Amino acid sequence: MTRVEMADEALFLLLHNEMVAGLHRAAEQGEAENGRCITKLENMGFRVGQGLIERFTKDTARFKDELDIMKFICKDFWTTVFKKQIDNLRTNHQGIYVLQDNKFRLLTQMSAGKQYLEHAPKYLAFTCGLIRGGLSNLGIKSIVTAEVSVMPACKFQVMIQKM
Amino acid sequence: MDPAAAVAAEEEEGSEKPPVIYTMENKPIVTCAGDQNLFTSVYPMLSQQLPRDPMEWRRSYGRAPKMIHLESNFVQFKEELLPKEGNKALLTFPFLHIYWTECCDTEVYKATVKDDITKWQNVLKVHSSVDWLIVVVESDAKKKNKTNILPRTSIVDKIRNDFCNKQSDRCVVLSDPLKDSSRSQESWNAFLTKLRTLLLMSFTKNLGKFEDDMRTLREKRTEPGWSFCEYFMVQEELAFVFEMLQQFEDALVQYDELDALFSQYVVNFGAGDGANWLTFFCQPVRSWNGLILRKPIDMEKRELIQNQEATLLDLRSYLFSRQCTLLIFLQRPWEVSQRALELLHNCVQELKLLEVSVPPGALDCWVFLSCLEVLQRIEGCCDRAQIDANVSHTVGLWSYATEKLKSLGYLCGLVSEKGPNSEDLNRTVDLLAGLGAERPETANTAQSPYKKLKEALSSVETFEKHYLDLSHATIEMYTNIGRIRSAKLVGKDLAEFYMRKKGPQKAEVYLQGALKTYLAEGWALLITHTRKQLAECQKHLGQIENYLQTSSLLAADNHLTEDERTHFCQEILNFANQQTEGQGEKVILSMHSFAQLKTLHFDPPNAVVHVGGTLSVELTLLSQMPIPVQVDQIAINVHFSIEKNSYRKTAEWLTKHKTSNGIISFSNEVVGFPLSRNNLPALELYEMYERSPSDNSLNTTGIICKNVHMLLRRQESSSSLEMSSGVTLEDGAHMLKCSNLILEPGINRITFRTQAKEPGTYTLRQLCMSVGKVQFVLPHIYPIVQYDVYSQEPQLKVEPLTDSLLAGIPQKVKFTVTTGHYTMKNGDTLQLSNADAMPILYHPESKAVIYSNTRERVSQSTLTIQSSEKITSIALPMAPAYHVIEFELEVMYLPSAPVVAMERENLINKDLHRKSKEKQKADNCMATVDQKVTIDCPWSIYSTIIALTFSIPFNAKHSLLSAGKRKYVQVCVQNMSELCFELSENNLKNSGNYTDLQLVPLNSESQQLIYSKQSVFFVWELKWMKELPPSLQCQFLFSFCPVTSEEQSFSLKPFIYEFQVENFFTLYNVKAEIFPPLGAEYCKTGSLCSLEVSITRLSDLLEVDKDEALTESDGYCTTKLMYEVVDNSSNWAVCGKSSGVISMPVAARATHKVHMEVMPLFAGYLPFPDVRLYKYLPHHSAHSMQLDADSWIENDNLSVDKNVDDQADSSSIRSRGSIHSTTSGEHKGLPMPRLQSFSSGQVFNSSTGMQILVIPSKDDHVLEVSVT
Amino acid sequence: MERIALLSPVCSPRLQNYPLYIRSVPTENELKFHYTVHTSLDVVDEKISAMGKALVDQRELYLGLLYPTEDYKVYGYVTNSKVKFVMVVDSSNTALRDNEIRSMFRKLHNSYTDIMCNPFYNPGDCIHSRAFDNMVTSMMMQYVK
Repeated sequence: MTRVEMADEALFLLLHNEMVAGLHRAAEQGEAENGRCITKLENMGFRVGQGLIERFTKDTARFKDELDIMKFICKDFWTTVFKKQIDNLRTNHQGIYVLQDNKFRLLTQMSAGKQYLEHAPKYLAFTCGLIRGGLSNLGIKSIVTAEVSVMPACKFQVMIQKM
Repeated sequence: MDPAAAVAAEEEEGSEKPPVIYTMENKPIVTCAGDQNLFTSVYPMLSQQLPRDPMEWRRSYGRAPKMIHLESNFVQFKEELLPKEGNKALLTFPFLHIYWTECCDTEVYKATVKDDITKWQNVLKVHSSVDWLIVVVESDAKKKNKTNILPRTSIVDKIRNDFCNKQSDRCVVLSDPLKDSSRSQESWNAFLTKLRTLLLMSFTKNLGKFEDDMRTLREKRTEPGWSFCEYFMVQEELAFVFEMLQQFEDALVQYDELDALFSQYVVNFGAGDGANWLTFFCQPVRSWNGLILRKPIDMEKRELIQNQEATLLDLRSYLFSRQCTLLIFLQRPWEVSQRALELLHNCVQELKLLEVSVPPGALDCWVFLSCLEVLQRIEGCCDRAQIDANVSHTVGLWSYATEKLKSLGYLCGLVSEKGPNSEDLNRTVDLLAGLGAERPETANTAQSPYKKLKEALSSVETFEKHYLDLSHATIEMYTNIGRIRSAKLVGKDLAEFYMRKKGPQKAEVYLQGALKTYLAEGWALLITHTRKQLAECQKHLGQIENYLQTSSLLAADNHLTEDERTHFCQEILNFANQQTEGQGEKVILSMHSFAQLKTLHFDPPNAVVHVGGTLSVELTLLSQMPIPVQVDQIAINVHFSIEKNSYRKTAEWLTKHKTSNGIISFSNEVVGFPLSRNNLPALELYEMYERSPSDNSLNTTGIICKNVHMLLRRQESSSSLEMSSGVTLEDGAHMLKCSNLILEPGINRITFRTQAKEPGTYTLRQLCMSVGKVQFVLPHIYPIVQYDVYSQEPQLKVEPLTDSLLAGIPQKVKFTVTTGHYTMKNGDTLQLSNADAMPILYHPESKAVIYSNTRERVSQSTLTIQSSEKITSIALPMAPAYHVIEFELEVMYLPSAPVVAMERENLINKDLHRKSKEKQKADNCMATVDQKVTIDCPWSIYSTIIALTFSIPFNAKHSLLSAGKRKYVQVCVQNMSELCFELSENNLKNSGNYTDLQLVPLNSESQQLIYSKQSVFFVWELKWMKELPPSLQCQFLFSFCPVTSEEQSFSLKPFIYEFQVENFFTLYNVKAEIFPPLGAEYCKTGSLCSLEVSITRLSDLLEVDKDEALTESDGYCTTKLMYEVVDNSSNWAVCGKSSGVISMPVAARATHKVHMEVMPLFAGYLPFPDVRLYKYLPHHSAHSMQLDADSWIENDNLSVDKNVDDQADSSSIRSRGSIHSTTSGEHKGLPMPRLQSFSSGQVFNSSTGMQILVIPSKDDHVLEVSVT
Repeated sequence: MERIALLSPVCSPRLQNYPLYIRSVPTENELKFHYTVHTSLDVVDEKISAMGKALVDQRELYLGLLYPTEDYKVYGYVTNSKVKFVMVVDSSNTALRDNEIRSMFRKLHNSYTDIMCNPFYNPGDCIHSRAFDNMVTSMMMQYVK
């Protein structure tokens, strides 16, 4: 990876950390009721996701189906944002997908194991939004939740809303 | 004759058969020379066998090889058949020449056959045709009857020698063709293969040659003389051959090339460089009888092209008909329909481009006919199911046809109430003329396009019928394949048609349908346009309400020009203002398009008012009308409900709208651009922490969504976005009105004022704006807007400023008058009934302050107070309803007023008494007294009674002390309050009139401080000369003032304490003496000592002695006394009787001594045992007996100070009696003498408090013995 | 003469198929243009759903000629984000061949993605960006005869 790439990746990571920290500070000072931070972050992610996917899919061929789109998210999208692919994608073919990232970029710097586990969620919210935003812009309404038990591995669950 | 024509001629009759037959007719030609009979015998076999097996055709120019089944058209050889030089015809070109012979006799050969072949060969050579074959047929039959036979081969060899130099394969043997033997079979196969190979070789050679010529010809196209038509014929020839060989693809390619070439020319022409030959096609269009697709070749048009007389339409039609035919051979009917549509559009364009003059409507006819022709052609070759499955391919043609028919209708004046005028008719005639006569092939088909068009144009009715049929068919097809938008568009044309025909009721449905779609997808321009049409339609239908509603929408629509908007606005106003006689029914419209409610602002902001108070509501309305509108009235329909807890509710409501401080804003979506209703609720995301059950450590964390169920359920299709027209107008009793105002375009502020009447909650329900007969209604005001009205009774509150009032000193009391619904008029006063005990002190400068209900200080005014001896009247300042008047007055409670003082003295003491009785030795608190004041308030006929509670700062006790006959009175004053007072002028007066009694104060200074909770004692000695009455009235008083109080004016307040002492004169002196045993110097524990009690009468007979005990005999009296020696401290053991009754002479200095023995139980200074003396009364009456019982009980627990206390309380005995009277029942009946205690002071015990030294004895056991 | 319409994504939070941006040069009979574009959606939908069925493996975003009318040619393009672009070209305009159209759509798509990254643009709203306007104008001018 060239120094430039590392730099702009670092930029994203640091920026993200500050965003999370900032929001929660605000929450503690009561400017925003606490607990909604998650939602706030998720919404930010959503908007970013929309914009990103618009760019990323600009030159790709038309998607065949839902699965095709999910694959795109796991490969191209993830690689562009997190410099690696999703390690494992599972689905029940009923509109539920589980994206497993064994070394999730936003957690790697934080901990390797259970330390700071209680803080993990805030650092997943943005990405949940990112996925949801991306999908929604591709015409798929969804709900994205996340789960961590041993960092930096984490799972994102995508529930597709049939329209 | 022209062979092509011949071929065509063959077609003429074949036309009714399916076209495939036709190509069978047309086969590559093979000529046969030589022995005709022979050939005829072989022919059936041959023609049957030839196509049986396919043969691979290798093609030139790298075209893919094809397997083809060859057939041939065998004709007798004639020289004419051979093509002359430069002949372009391929169809009639003989691809192979065969010479048949069965000669097996050399002679015969030499004689005739050889020459014949030679001649045939020469002819061929002349025409440089090299595709020939010689067939020698052998049969055993012949040989049988022949003698001198040469070897069979010889003939064949001869022929080969003579003719086929180096290409010996040009001569084949067919042996016993008519025999059914394997040998003949073999030779047949060999022969056929040869035949096929040669044919194909010939094809390749000749077609290749042909194509080369064709190409060279095409290259010449830039040369001046070049003619497209000629070239067309050439390439078509090729196409024909391919078709003949059933190579339809290749055939089609030829036509497509021609098509492309032509199109290119047209485009170039448009671009400027026109080929002159194109001008042929630019001749004005004279006939427009559409496409003809029913026969494989439209010879007429072909000739036109050939003769270079074809118009553009002719060319195009012919070209397409050919393409169509081929496509159908290829089973691609849907491509036909698709190409057809392109063709038609294209033709129209090309005509424009080439600026060909076309009579109006001609093209429409042409297109219309063509569409139908194509459709029918397709229907002709497909079954229903296929057609239905492919509507999407054909529907375009349908709608195109519909469109064209429509424009024809308009053109020919067929779309109107009153049919076409003469001009229209002429036009129609011309158009029909252009159609010419119907083609024979369709003449006897009923529904031919030709017939349809003629019929449609013949009359208004028939036109309508056909147009409707087409439209409905089209709409149905579009709908079936889900092209709703297209369907709606056709529907709109239909609507326009109906409108023209003055059939608005039919039009409406379509317009509404379309409008709904456009609204659902928010296409503003389309909405506007359709609304305009709808408005017109509704106007015709006389649907006033709908029309006005639509008009209001349009008037508000900024996609229209100012004028249009004004027009529609004016429409509403005109209707609104037109005078209707009698029936004044109003038209109710929804307001949302007319004006939008933006904000609503309450004053007071909390939207709470008292009855009678005024509330103002300011609406901000955004008028969407382009011009100012005169509004007769704007009314807010208010729903009234009596709410018990309207306050709480209000509070709640306030908090809900706290930020808006009385301003509520309403959201409106843009008119004509509604957003979809079914927006999803926001995600409810939460952090998730999952701890392990064993140790509580974190297992998993994450993010979960709590309202998945809400989000994942499928959203129901959004309800119709067009607002429901059914607006109902509530009629509520309560209305906020605002009349005669002009609503300017844009923002308007309208203020409503209302006087609050009934208390309760008022909900703003509807907003209704009346403009003449029209009412614009906002059916629901949301969010809910309410205001509350409350009512309050006037009331007076009087409360001390300090937490408790003390008697005797001036203190401030606050008067609070809450006016409630009452308005303070001039001269309203508070009338206080004076109590002397509590004067109201006031300073002239005392002020009254008036506050509004919300505690804002309104004004202040001096308070005028007059007081007569009975009444103090306070003139209240004028104050409006729901205000508060506050002022302070000083009151002072004077305990001194005698009568009152006396009884309340008792009150207090009783009080204290009870208290002390209830809670033993509880530090008794201040005595209080309630001072009631009756006040008459201006708002009520009943007078209010207000009780002020004062606490008496002091508590006083007295006691009588005796020393022998000398008497002292002691008064103890205790300060119960928190304050420190200065006492002065203390004084004890004898209120009875005993002149010779004097009270000698033994108190030092006259003034002294008494601090909080401190007690001060005062003592006086009673002195007298003569004898005294049994009781003595005393009054103790002193002045006091709080030490803190600076101004002395009110300083000295007398505190008065009245009491009386009874029977205080000493009658007996009791004296006890204890003597050690004889000889002993001291008393010893355990040793008996003698106790002498001597009772001495100090006075002669007195009033007090006069009672049952007194017995009188010869002038001197005795009374009975009972003595008793008690030792509560049990220091002494009294030996023998400790009490006894004695009769005492009632005379001064009479003494009675009693001796008894006592034993000290302890050593040390022992106090004397107590000696008590009672009056002993023999029993008399039940009553007395009862009393007696009482006194027993009494005396058991008599104590000195208690006595005093009893004395002090004149009612105490009685009260105590009364207490016991109930319980004393049990004593009844048993006769018992009574004991009566003396009142304190009557008996003086001179040995009280005396002690005697007792020394311990040596032997203790004696003590023990003595004890037991 | 040539007209361009940019239509909302199928699954925009708002309505489906409402015009995000619609532009017509020249502006006369704009109404007819709107109608044409609106009806063309029928075909766009048809094509999209056909692709959904994956029968046609037409993976290109450019849908090609939707349908010709007597005086217009209507072309379609659908981004992966389901934003539909429709271009209506006058039939007489022979300068515009398939390739030109395709490249024009690409241009449109590019500047649309730029808009998506504009903080002042809220996805699903109508487009009021001047940059976009200018781009479209210049693109049209290039081909208007």
